[in-house]
Amino acid sequence: MKRIHLSGKKPIGILIAACCITGAIAVGAYVNYQTSAYPSSDSGSIDAELVHMASTVGGRLIDLRVHVNQSVHRGDILYRLDPVPYELTVKQAEANLALAHATVENERRLVTVRAGSAAIAEQQTIRARTNRDLAARTESRLKPLADHAYIPWQQYDQAKTALHNASVSLSEAEQQQASAQTAIGDLNSSLAAEQASAVALEHARYALSQTIVRAPTDGYVTSLTVQEGEVLAPSQVLFTLIANDEWYATAALREGTLGPVHIGDCATVYSMLDRATPLRGHVESIGWGVLSGDSIGISRSLPFVPRQMDWVHVAQRFPVRIRLDPANPVLLRLGATASVQIRHGAACH
Amino acid sequence: MHLPRTLRHQAPSLLLLVAGGCSLHGAPAFSIAGAYFPGWMICALIGVGVAVGLRVAFVLAGIDAVLSLRLFTYTSLGVMAALLSWLLCFGP
Repeated sequence: MKRIHLSGKKPIGILIAACCITGAIAVGAYVNYQTSAYPSSDSGSIDAELVHMASTVGGRLIDLRVHVNQSVHRGDILYRLDPVPYELTVKQAEANLALAHATVENERRLVTVRAGSAAIAEQQTIRARTNRDLAARTESRLKPLADHAYIPWQQYDQAKTALHNASVSLSEAEQQQASAQTAIGDLNSSLAAEQASAVALEHARYALSQTIVRAPTDGYVTSLTVQEGEVLAPSQVLFTLIANDEWYATAALREGTLGPVHIGDCATVYSMLDRATPLRGHVESIGWGVLSGDSIGISRSLPFVPRQMDWVHVAQRFPVRIRLDPANPVLLRLGATASVQIRHGAACH
Repeated sequence: MHLPRTLRHQAPSLLLLVAGGCSLHGAPAFSIAGAYFPGWMICALIGVGVAVGLRVAFVLAGIDAVLSLRLFTYTSLGVMAALLSWLLCFGP
């Protein structure tokens, strides 16, 4: 039996082996460089934004104009709630506003009346002062006459009493004038009440307008499982709308390959709904954070760090968000598997 | 010296034949019975196939007798075929 030596004595064979090994290492190094410079991922997914359709008011669903998986356009009426309670609230608010308005008018008349009273009180004060002055002059004129007994003391005493009476009347008239001035008041409280009623009416009209729910964007209706007659609480989600204006692909790339990925880089995305059609997109952003399983920071307690002795650590991956150019809608379904190639691929040449 | 050259010319065509199953355009993943397999897995299979095929061809052609360090030679050839097919099919 012929003995086969691992290291043969044929120099040509060793040369060939050396060439092959060197070539394999060189190609391997080149491929390694290429894969890190042009990252790709098979585990991406097609992504879009969602709107959870709900009304800020509650009520009975009386008119549902969409069905599940239907395409809707921005501004389309999706559903209506029973408007009657909100119409009644609007009417009530209108009545309250009319009442407040009437109160303002009433108050304005009363203010006018009280201002007139104050003017009368002022005139009365002037009259009382004139009378008091006359009485004072009379008293001062009669005093020397009474001293020399030209007039009876009785007459002088009457003059003094008249002066005292006039003084008291003047004091009363001044107090009445001050009170009447204070009593005029103003319209501030009734105007504020009128403003409050006007705002309440606006609020009621807003609530009424919220009974009609319109599509905030183009999209597809999903997760709709109820019919008319359902009673909805305020802010209760009736269905989910998949926004159809922008589509994205989200691919998780290993942290070591994120270096060559830049915002705006071209990306080739294959939706696995049809793996032969490349979709063109551009890197929009790279996720700034993911939850690490190595330690759990609990804000109210101490961080949880499991004991371990792992020598090999699997690279963390971060989601890279790629905005897709307009594409065939058939290929765009939220959650579809996507294969993503950054800065290369059929769509980027 | 003619035979090795002929074989070396045939190697890429053989490679293309195997890669023909995987169309050269499209996503670098293949659906088999509802599961997606990565493209490099098919390239690895191509590498194994090329290494085995070359061994058979070289034995038949008598080149095998000239070689030494056969395990390393054929492994390197297979690795090269796998990596080159990956570059050809899915490389940037």
